[in-house]
Amino acid sequence: MLLLTLSDAHIPDRSIDLPAKFKKLLSVPDKISQVILLGNCTRSSEFLNFVNQISPNVTIIRGEFDTAFPPIMASSKRANEKVRKDEIPINTIIRQGDFKIGCCSGYTIVPKNDPLSLLTLARQLDVDIMLWGGTHNVEAYTLEGKFFVNPGSCTGAFNTDWPVMGDLSDIDVSEKVDSKREEVMAVDKHALSKNDEKQEVGKAATDRTSEANNSDGVGKVLDDTEGNATNDKNNTKEEEPEITERDIDLSEFDINGSNVPSFCLLDIQGSVCTLYIYIFVNGDVKVDKVVYKKE
Amino acid sequence: MSYSSSLEKAISSIKKQTYLIQRSLNKRDLMSALKYASLMLAELRNPKLPPKQYYEIYTLIFDSLSNLSLYLIDNHPNHHHLADLYELVQYAGNVLPRLYLMITVGASYLQCPNPPRDEILKDMMEMCRAIQNPIRGLFIRYYLSQTTKQILIQKLKDDSDNDSNLEVSMNFNCQYIITNFIEMNKLWVRLQHQGPLRERKQRTKERKELQILVGSQLVALSEIIDDNFTIYKEKVLPVILEQITQCRDVIAQEYLFEILFQVFPDEFHLETLPLLLDAMLHLNPELSHDKLLWSLVERLNVFIVRQNEGLNAVDGMKEDNLFKIFWQFVSKLNEERPDLSLQQTIGLVKSLLNLSLKWYPESVENLDHSYELVLQKYQDLGDDPVPIDSECFLSDLILLKNIDIHEKDRTNTFLKLVSQSDSYRKLLSLQRLPLQQDIINELLDAFTMGFFGTNSEANASKEIINSKVQLEHILSMCEPIIKSRISLLTPKEGNNNITEDEAQDDDEQDETFIILDANQEKLAKFTHVIINSLNNSEILYTVEKQMECLLILKSWYYKGGSNIKYTYPSIITNFWKLIRKSNKLKSRLPKKKSYYDDVIKKLFKHISRCTNDLFNLCGNSYTDAIYKFNLQSASLADQLSLNEISYDFFSQAFTVFEESLSDSKTQFQSLVYMAQTLQKTRSLYKESYYDSLIVRCTLHGSKLLKKQDQCRAVYLCSHLWWATEISILGEEEGVTRNFHRDGKRVLECIQRSLRSADSIMDNVQSCELMIEIFNRCLYYFIHGDESENFLTIKYINGLIELIKTNLKNLRLEGDDEDLMIDTAVQQLSRTNISNSQFVQDIDDTLNPIFMGEDGSYIELSKLKGTPANVSSKISSAKMSNLIRIPIRHYNGTREYVMNQSEIDDRFKVINI
Repeated sequence: MLLLTLSDAHIPDRSIDLPAKFKKLLSVPDKISQVILLGNCTRSSEFLNFVNQISPNVTIIRGEFDTAFPPIMASSKRANEKVRKDEIPINTIIRQGDFKIGCCSGYTIVPKNDPLSLLTLARQLDVDIMLWGGTHNVEAYTLEGKFFVNPGSCTGAFNTDWPVMGDLSDIDVSEKVDSKREEVMAVDKHALSKNDEKQEVGKAATDRTSEANNSDGVGKVLDDTEGNATNDKNNTKEEEPEITERDIDLSEFDINGSNVPSFCLLDIQGSVCTLYIYIFVNGDVKVDKVVYKKE
Repeated sequence: MSYSSSLEKAISSIKKQTYLIQRSLNKRDLMSALKYASLMLAELRNPKLPPKQYYEIYTLIFDSLSNLSLYLIDNHPNHHHLADLYELVQYAGNVLPRLYLMITVGASYLQCPNPPRDEILKDMMEMCRAIQNPIRGLFIRYYLSQTTKQILIQKLKDDSDNDSNLEVSMNFNCQYIITNFIEMNKLWVRLQHQGPLRERKQRTKERKELQILVGSQLVALSEIIDDNFTIYKEKVLPVILEQITQCRDVIAQEYLFEILFQVFPDEFHLETLPLLLDAMLHLNPELSHDKLLWSLVERLNVFIVRQNEGLNAVDGMKEDNLFKIFWQFVSKLNEERPDLSLQQTIGLVKSLLNLSLKWYPESVENLDHSYELVLQKYQDLGDDPVPIDSECFLSDLILLKNIDIHEKDRTNTFLKLVSQSDSYRKLLSLQRLPLQQDIINELLDAFTMGFFGTNSEANASKEIINSKVQLEHILSMCEPIIKSRISLLTPKEGNNNITEDEAQDDDEQDETFIILDANQEKLAKFTHVIINSLNNSEILYTVEKQMECLLILKSWYYKGGSNIKYTYPSIITNFWKLIRKSNKLKSRLPKKKSYYDDVIKKLFKHISRCTNDLFNLCGNSYTDAIYKFNLQSASLADQLSLNEISYDFFSQAFTVFEESLSDSKTQFQSLVYMAQTLQKTRSLYKESYYDSLIVRCTLHGSKLLKKQDQCRAVYLCSHLWWATEISILGEEEGVTRNFHRDGKRVLECIQRSLRSADSIMDNVQSCELMIEIFNRCLYYFIHGDESENFLTIKYINGLIELIKTNLKNLRLEGDDEDLMIDTAVQQLSRTNISNSQFVQDIDDTLNPIFMGEDGSYIELSKLKGTPANVSSKISSAKMSNLIRIPIRHYNGTREYVMNQSEIDDRFKVINI
């Protein structure tokens, strides 16, 4: 039983399309039994048509830029009837195998992307697997026996959130707290007590992201002070030709907020859920696999 | 001497005579053999045979005569002398058999040593004049050419050691074949005019079947001439062209030109273009020049492709303006022949495009001149509408259909045409609106595909926009799409376009629906295409130039009226990107800090302008999105420490919220989203911007229409006084000491929200909300430290007691119905025992219901894979089923607390 999760396409507002390699991968009719769109996927008729070809069973969750009701496709013959469909829900629950799967786009989770808040919602919905989106960064971890999956943005769309990682030099240092960074999403060990169940499976993915931005990333962040020092050196050398905008090559990832296109496929067999994470890096698709078993 | 009455009989007769000829020859009885041959040849006199059948018996006879010829050669001069025989056969009774025999003997004689070659050749040619019936005449001349072909080639070889002899020989040979060709052509043309008028069609068909006989003469010529360009140009081509033009026959002219192009080398055509084109000007007016021109161009394109592939550099021909020669031809033709149809002109111009794209791939000018010709023709037509059947030719021409160029080059060419060719754009703009829109759509698709590089990087288009004028041109072309309205009516009723005054209020007033418009979607994607391509531009790569280009896009899209709700978001996105980019550049180029600061401020202003336009043009249908654009811009500004700009955008969002977001559901999710956004800000702490914003946000939350919304909004707003880590800033829970936190305010929010929960009349909702609040308390409890001073364990345990009491009361409410449901379940399970899935899925209720973040009821489906039924109102649910919502939630929370207390002692004090 294959369940596809796509999120934050933002077509056509922020991106043109999925990477062609993703589309090719997903163009296998009758293999995927259900598609879940975790927000910001309803503004493109072309995209929705594509999704409908993957599987007729499509569940849409409302993201911050989705309207309360599903869009009307101008091409559909019944468009002029203006049939009142059900609202696009903020949350829903799907049964699959032995699992109950909760879905949310995440834009009403406060604090955003906070594992404890997500856990609270997972409890409220009484689900084993919690799917969420909105961050444009693929992530998967288990917490308190529950499985949390964020497929990231399937187009690698621009995001106005704080970048997940990047060059610190352009952030106002005065507000910054001096401390050492360890992980992309540090676990609140203190709060979660000795038995720390939270596994950072998404870390592999985000690490790769950092590879994509050659110059920036964790290393760069740590070496920030050095970086500034080299900058200063450059400034003192008067004879060097002045660097202009032309000479600076900024990667698209830096500007988009370090997002690479990604999506997740859940293969559910009874009490076992195998999660496949697809990431598009440097023109290639990379796949990661994580297995979650219901206790 | 008569012929058989049918084809079958003729064939069997020929076979019989062939056998008899062979038998006579075996007996060395030549006279009998000639007699049988003469009988056999009589079959060719049959006037009723159609060309195909005539050809069939001709081939049989040809084979038979070849055998005879071999015998004649072998036995000369031992048993007979061919000179004698040549005289002898002239006494054959009938003219046609006589001529065939003469040619057979003559040709055999010519293959023997030292014959009077020229005399015999001339004599045979002369004799053929006797046959004036077109079909018979064509075949006898074909026979002549077949039998003398090798002899002529041999003649050249014999004379090859002496230049002057060779020239004489060559002249003779060419003259010989040309004479035959001219005569054959005359016969062929005459065939058209034979017989009654009503059989004209039949005649035409027969002529097409016979054309190959005439064409074969040109093939023979090309073989004789080989690479002798001088004789081709001076002696051959002028005569052929004269014959072709003078015969004034459409079929002959079309066919012979075609053959001429095919059989002679393309280099020859290049060198004789003026001759060819001049002759083409003087053809029968009924002839389709466009097809001929296309053939010629295709032929020349083969040449240039070969040149480009080959190592030898392109010779002088390319510099000579080949295109100009062709262009002059087409425009002269257009001038002289005002009767040419639009379709024909299109055909001619297509050839020009085809030529220019291959020979001068860089030239936009040539293409522009080509389209200008169509444009002129189009305008000459005046007010007469273009016939619908010509439209497809026009659109094919505009879209360069059926012209063989690489997909990537096609995209590049489109871009060049649209941005640089006035006549191209003009021609497009003159089309009927729906057609125009179709074409523009295809162009936009081509651009998007080309630049997005759906293929690979290598295939991605390299052509770029290098000036704002070009961008303006492209956008002016897009105007019909920009202004197009999606019509939900059937195409007949709905006018696809809008007039200026309609634009204001034709929009769907239903604010909850958005109609997806594929045209506008393309434009939005096109924004990204343009801006992405600017990064590769030599001139427009800078942030400032890109910003200016975005403003151009913006002002064009603005013409679309309320369509901007589809197109502006892509503009805003690109402004956002430019902001991030400027900020990166600022850090790399410290000297230009103030410049980039200024650019960033401008960009934020433009975004603000966009949201204002959206607000003014799109009405209520789009306010939620406008509100969110403001919030996300605020967030971005905050990340750049631009606290004043951030504050302005937040304020703008509040204004939208207060003035335009009326629907309570929309309000709730908008407000929570604001809380989420505010909670992640860092720059606003100065000047107490942050405090005023979060207080305002929370106040709005507490004033929401529904109490349950108030309750949820306020407990979520409690997080505004409890900052959590932002990794990129190096913040870390438990390490960072100076988080912006105020436990006292958190508690106030929790208490305020608990009051709302308590005041709700619906006990299920009230109870569920208290459990949600309890869970919120657990969130802070886990964070520990200072929160303990406010959300004390005593407070939490008090809350648990309150929840327990409420749950008990709830159970009482539901008891009666519970019983009824249990019986119903039992009955159902009894009747549906076979349906194990169904039975299994009934855990404790029929359809378990849960409550979502926004208080919606989520009714689980019994079927796997089917999404739950989510609704804000629950219509037919049984009380007992609803009661289970808080019960289940409480039990889940209790389980969690108990599990935690096993591994974390702090939880042990929670009295659950």
